[in-house]
Amino acid sequence: MMVGPDKVDLKVVLLGREYSGKTALAHRYLLQKFNPHMNYQTTVGAAYGARKFEVDKQTIFMGLWDTAGSERYECMSHVYYHGAWAALVCFELIDRESWLRARHWANEVMTRGDEGCKIYLIGTKADLVTEPGTPRKIEYATAKSYADDIRAKYIETSSKTGQNVEEMYCMIAEDYVADMAKKTKGEN
Amino acid sequence: MSRITKSKTIKIDESVLLCKNGCGFYGYPAWKGYCSKCWREVFSKESQQHDAAKQKRGVQPFGRRQSPQPAPVDAFSKFEEKKKVQSEKRKQTVRSIFKKSPQNTLQEPMAEKSVRKVSAEIQQIGEEFADFLKSLRKPEAALDASKQLKYFIEKIQGMPDSPVEDLSESVVNFYQSLSDRIHSKSIYKGLSQESVDLLMDYAEKYLLIRLYRVLFCPLTTDDEDKDLAIQTRIRSLHWINVHLLDAQIDEQQGNVAELIEKAITSIIEMDTMKAPQQKLECIVRCSKSIFECLRVSKGAPASADEFLPALIYVVLKANPPFLQSNIQFITRFANPNRLMSGEAGYYFTNLCCVVSFIENLNADSLSMPQDEFDRYMSGEAVPHDPTKQYSCEGLRLMHQNLSSLGELRSQLECLMAEALQLQQDNVDFKENFKREIGAVMLRTPLVLKPRKVKVNIDEEEDSDVSSRLPPPLMPEVVGVGGILSQPMISCNTQSSDFNESNNNGHSPDPVEFGEFSSHDNPL
Repeated sequence: MMVGPDKVDLKVVLLGREYSGKTALAHRYLLQKFNPHMNYQTTVGAAYGARKFEVDKQTIFMGLWDTAGSERYECMSHVYYHGAWAALVCFELIDRESWLRARHWANEVMTRGDEGCKIYLIGTKADLVTEPGTPRKIEYATAKSYADDIRAKYIETSSKTGQNVEEMYCMIAEDYVADMAKKTKGEN
Repeated sequence: MSRITKSKTIKIDESVLLCKNGCGFYGYPAWKGYCSKCWREVFSKESQQHDAAKQKRGVQPFGRRQSPQPAPVDAFSKFEEKKKVQSEKRKQTVRSIFKKSPQNTLQEPMAEKSVRKVSAEIQQIGEEFADFLKSLRKPEAALDASKQLKYFIEKIQGMPDSPVEDLSESVVNFYQSLSDRIHSKSIYKGLSQESVDLLMDYAEKYLLIRLYRVLFCPLTTDDEDKDLAIQTRIRSLHWINVHLLDAQIDEQQGNVAELIEKAITSIIEMDTMKAPQQKLECIVRCSKSIFECLRVSKGAPASADEFLPALIYVVLKANPPFLQSNIQFITRFANPNRLMSGEAGYYFTNLCCVVSFIENLNADSLSMPQDEFDRYMSGEAVPHDPTKQYSCEGLRLMHQNLSSLGELRSQLECLMAEALQLQQDNVDFKENFKREIGAVMLRTPLVLKPRKVKVNIDEEEDSDVSSRLPPPLMPEVVGVGGILSQPMISCNTQSSDFNESNNNGHSPDPVEFGEFSSHDNPL
C-alpha cells in the first residue's frame, strides 16, 4: 500500500484542532481500518502516508500530510499547506470549539493557501452523535451551508465505524483526476 | 551556568570551533578555520601578494600554502580563545563537538584532506553516474545527458558572483528543461519511467555535488550570519525541556534516550552530506527515530501533534551546524517536486517549521508568563523538570550502567547456576550409567564357553563315536521319524554355532545352550 516517497501526484493536508480526529483519519488512510484501542503495530507513526488510487484507469498517488493542531504552531501552518491540492479541515461534530477552529482554518487556507486549493470540510466522530452523553453540537445544515458559502465539500465521517472515510478519499482522488482533466483541456 | 545545561552537555575547548582570528565567530574547515569574514580579509591579502592568475579557484591555491600570517597571530588568537572559553563557557552539544572538532584540531592536514575528500566524492558520484548511464544501453541518450550536465556545470561555475536567487532559478530551470528534453527527444525513447526518474535523480545528485562549493552557503548571501544567529538562539534556549514543549518523550523509559541520541546524530549528519537527497535522507532518518521513540514512550504510534514538539526538542538538543545554510541549500537547489510532496518533503517541511518556531519562540509559545521566560533566558532560574532525577548526565549514565551491570550480574548468576546444574546432571548421568551397566552385568554374567572343535567326519568313523551315533538311515524308509531325525542334527549344530558367537552377549539362558553344545561336542 505504501509507495516510494518520490512518486506522489497530489498533496492533501489535514488541518484541525488537536484531537479533532485528524490522526484517526490518517490512520484509516494508511491502514484502511480503525482500531479503537490505538494499537497500531504496523506503523511507527502516522503523520505522513501515500496511497495509490485507481480512477478511470488512471493511477494516482496521493500523499496525506497530517499537521500539528496546537495553536502554538499555528503561525507556521501555512508552510504545510503550501503546494497542497486540497486541505481537509476537520472538526468534531460534538464539539463547538473545534467547529470554530475549523472555520478559522478554512479562512486561513483561503487567504494564505495556494490559489485553487480545494477545501473539504470534514465533520468527524459521527458515530458518537447517536450515543448518549455526546450530543451533536453542529447541525448538518449549519455545516453544509457554511461549506457551500466557501465552495467546499462537506462530509461527515467516523473513523471508528469507517463511515464515509474511504468514500471521502476516493472522492478526493476522483475530484483530482477531474480537475487535472479540466486543466489540460483548458491548456489545449 | 544552569544545572540543566551541565547535565546535558560537556565542557569543551571551544577554541577548536572558533575562527582562528579569534573574532568570536565560528570557523569552518573550508575557510581554513576562519570565519567567512576573516577568511575574506585574509584571502584578499593573500591575493594581493600573489598574481591574479592563481586566484581563480579561491580555496585551491590557498589550501596548499601555509597561512601567511606569522605564528604569533596564531598563538595570540589561541590565547584569546582560551580566555573567551573561560569567561563565557559557551557550550555545544556533545555530538556536534565530536563531529566538528577532529576537523579543526587537525587543521592543517585536514584542510588538505577535505579538498581531496571532495574530489573523491565527486569522483564517486561521477563513477556511479557513468555506470548508470552505461546500464541504460542508450549511448546517445547517455552522451546527450552528460553533455547537458557538463555544459550546465560550466555555466554555473562561470557565474559564481551572481545572486543566489538567479543560481537557484537556473538550477530549477535546468531540471525542468532536462526533464522536458528526456520526454520529448527521440534518443531517450524507450526508457522506462523508472529509468527516467533515476536519470533525473542522478543528474541532480551529480550536479549539486559538483557545484556544492559554489552553491552551499554562498558568500553573496547572509546564510552564514543566519547560521550563527540560529546557533546562538538555540544555545540561549538550552533550558527548554520536554515538558515545556509538551513533547511526550519519556527519557527514563526503555531505549528512548538512545533513540533521541540517534535522532540527534542523524540531524547533525545532515551537514556532512552533499546532495539534497542525502541531506533529506538524514532528516527522514531523524524523524523515523523520533517516531520510534514516541511510540516507545507512549505505547502507540504518534501523530503529527506529538511529532512536531519532539522534533523541536531534538533540534534544540542537537543544535545542528549550518542549519540555515542546509535548509536554504535544499530549498534553493533540490528538485522542487521532491519537496512539494513525498515523505522527505513532509519531514523537511516540519524541519522548516521547527526552525521558524525556534526563531519566533517567546513566552506565549511556551504558555508561560513573560517574566518567567525572561528569567530563564537570562539564566537566573532553571525550569523544574520532574523527570530529571539526576543533576548531571554522567550520573545518569552511571546509574544506567549500574542497573544494566546489575542485570548482567543476575543473568550471569543464572547462567552459573545452570552451568553447575548441568555439571551435576552430567555426574549423575555418569553414575546412573555405570550403575545400569553394573546391573546388566550382574544380570547377565559373562560366561566363556569352550571353543568348539571342528568335527572331522572322516575321523569319526574310526572312533567309537560312531558307535554312539544312531544307526545310518535307511534310504528306503520314508517315515516321520526318519525325516525328522536327520534335520534335528543339523539344526542343533547350527544353533550351537550361533550360540557361541553370541556368547558374550546377554543370552537369556546360557544353561540351555550349554546343553546344546555339550550335545554337539561330546568330548
